[in-house]
Amino acid sequence: MSAAALLVAILAALGAAVAAALHDPVVLVGLLAALSAFAAAVAAGAAAVQLRAPNTLTEPRHPQGPSAPPPLPDDVLARRGAFGRLWWIAFAAFALAGLEPLISLGRMPRRNGTAWRGGARLVTPQGTPLRPDDLAVGGVTTVFPEGRVDAPESAVLLLRLQDGVMQLGPERRDWVQQGNVAFSKICTHAGCPVAIFRHLTYELYCPCHQSVFDVLHGAQPVSGPATRALPQLALDLDRDGYLVARGDFAEPVGPDSWWRTL
Amino acid sequence: MILRRVDRFFDERLGSDAWVRYVFAKLYPDHWSFYLGEFALYCFVMLVATGVWLTFVFQPSHAGAFASVIAFTRATPVGYLMRQVHHWSAVAFIAAIVVHLGRVFFTAAFRKPREITWVLGVLLLVTASVTGFTGYSLPDDTLSGTGLRIADAVLLSIPFIGGWAADLLNGGGYPGPLLIPHLYVIHVYFLPVTIGALLALHLGLVFYQKHTQFEPDPAHVVVGRRFWPDYTLRTLAVFFATAGVVTLLGALIEINPVENYGPYHDWLVTNPAAPDWYAAWLDGALRLGPAVEWRIFGHPVPAVFWPGMVLPTLAFLLVVAWPWIDKTITKRDEVGDVLVPPTAAPWRVGVGAALVTAGVVLTLAASDDQQAVGAHVRVTALVTLYRILFPFGSIAVGLIAALLAAELRASRAGRGAERERVVELVRNAEGGFDAREPHST
Repeated sequence: MSAAALLVAILAALGAAVAAALHDPVVLVGLLAALSAFAAAVAAGAAAVQLRAPNTLTEPRHPQGPSAPPPLPDDVLARRGAFGRLWWIAFAAFALAGLEPLISLGRMPRRNGTAWRGGARLVTPQGTPLRPDDLAVGGVTTVFPEGRVDAPESAVLLLRLQDGVMQLGPERRDWVQQGNVAFSKICTHAGCPVAIFRHLTYELYCPCHQSVFDVLHGAQPVSGPATRALPQLALDLDRDGYLVARGDFAEPVGPDSWWRTL
Repeated sequence: MILRRVDRFFDERLGSDAWVRYVFAKLYPDHWSFYLGEFALYCFVMLVATGVWLTFVFQPSHAGAFASVIAFTRATPVGYLMRQVHHWSAVAFIAAIVVHLGRVFFTAAFRKPREITWVLGVLLLVTASVTGFTGYSLPDDTLSGTGLRIADAVLLSIPFIGGWAADLLNGGGYPGPLLIPHLYVIHVYFLPVTIGALLALHLGLVFYQKHTQFEPDPAHVVVGRRFWPDYTLRTLAVFFATAGVVTLLGALIEINPVENYGPYHDWLVTNPAAPDWYAAWLDGALRLGPAVEWRIFGHPVPAVFWPGMVLPTLAFLLVVAWPWIDKTITKRDEVGDVLVPPTAAPWRVGVGAALVTAGVVLTLAASDDQQAVGAHVRVTALVTLYRILFPFGSIAVGLIAALLAAELRASRAGRGAERERVVELVRNAEGGFDAREPHST
């Protein structure tokens, strides 16, 4: 039994190697390799059973208590004095000094910022600039500042709603251009892209932790674990009629941290 | 013959023959549940074997990672299998550690003098999980990139030093230019070496202190099998079975199909987006966590800090400290070389069952959106349900498990008493036997 199984293991292993070298389908290579392993397991297992070795042999356990007598002469451990204490202080100093290179590895606080600047055109990921009429009402697309497609933390969702449905405070009235409104796409909870727009209820939905943001009220969180609105990008039109940003976001985008000041 | 000559070669130089004989004749107690840890060990062997191969075809940079994964996956069946088996071994590795931990917990194998082995084992679980997560992130695909983004947000949420820690890992803002290289060196060097060291200590202690056993031993003896050849063949069988299982899974079931997700951009995401199973409980915690941002001295403490950082830290501390908590409850600090059947301590069964339930609830919560779609309910209803189940369901399951264990112990004790009843058989007039109480004549 054992020898037969081991023979199968040998043949299957060689077969798997040949099949892999000939670029046979993955499944064949994998099945042969698995067969080889299982056959070897059977060979070893059957051999173990055939031994009929008892599971009842005994040997003493060593007592594992404190060593006795004391392993070191008393005076080695007992030696104390100013010099000994100085060593502890020295070790503490070395550890403190070692902190400096460690701290230098990261900046504190981390500041990301985005690539948005006043007058930057809104472009699709393919780089096409957009006019207010390019999106159909109810439409949504991801935009970047022109020339900075893929810039970190700068992804923005451009939504087109019916003119006048937005219920924003007076200071944000002119951030909307002919129903076009823009919010940071980076979730304020854990940074995932808030990629889903439910146009019937005017909600943005994050697929990671199911935070829901109410677009009509400035993307305030209404459900899920997010606590802060998606920052809104103030929109304007340039002389050629393209949508542009009025400037960078007024608030930090993305997840919060200790040093976020607002 | 060759083995003998090798032994003699080293013996003549090191005097090692006596030690080799000791190792080969050493006894190991045997029980099916003792092989769970070995299954984990051999998963690690498979991980190292496939992982070393993968280092030669993977390009650890943000620009090249995804393309190199697709390239070597498509080029040869070996490449595809290596990645598949590596990933399956990783999830099996962590699963095996968790089940092994459960066995040790429920049989009280962590008692004195094995507390150190327990702590090392818990550290192994943590290290293995982090290694799994960093490896899962290396292909730089849309799904794993999203996971990294969430991990970045959790790091960022730590009061005072969060920004520094996230900046350090990223090598700049998110997604930093050094993120993939950092993850790479962490995944292929720092963490595997740590696992190797922890494993060596963990197994070294098992060797030195000798394994626990179910056989009662008033005289402090190990009851078991010899290492050579009996146990060697058994552990060899476990190794090959492990290799067979992960290879079969790798060959037949596609895991983490990054080619379907596409390369990562911080503005793209998959829907649904859920991590590998061992990280799901943390993602579930983030979903259930309250939407509150506290302020301390005017500084925000983001909502993700509590479920993402505090909860796992508390869970870790609870599990690490368990041998000492157990000691406090049982008021027992004697050497425990003999395992107890789980039912012997119903309260411990209850605690274990409650902890497992809490983990399962959080894990389920990590796919609440998919369950909501499947069951045609609102996801917020499921969030509420899981928020209730997390504490109360866990306590309820713990109580039921403790009661069941107590019941089982009572019925076992009853049956045991019956089995041990000694009777005297006396020939009767019909030629049969009558049972009589002994010494009742």
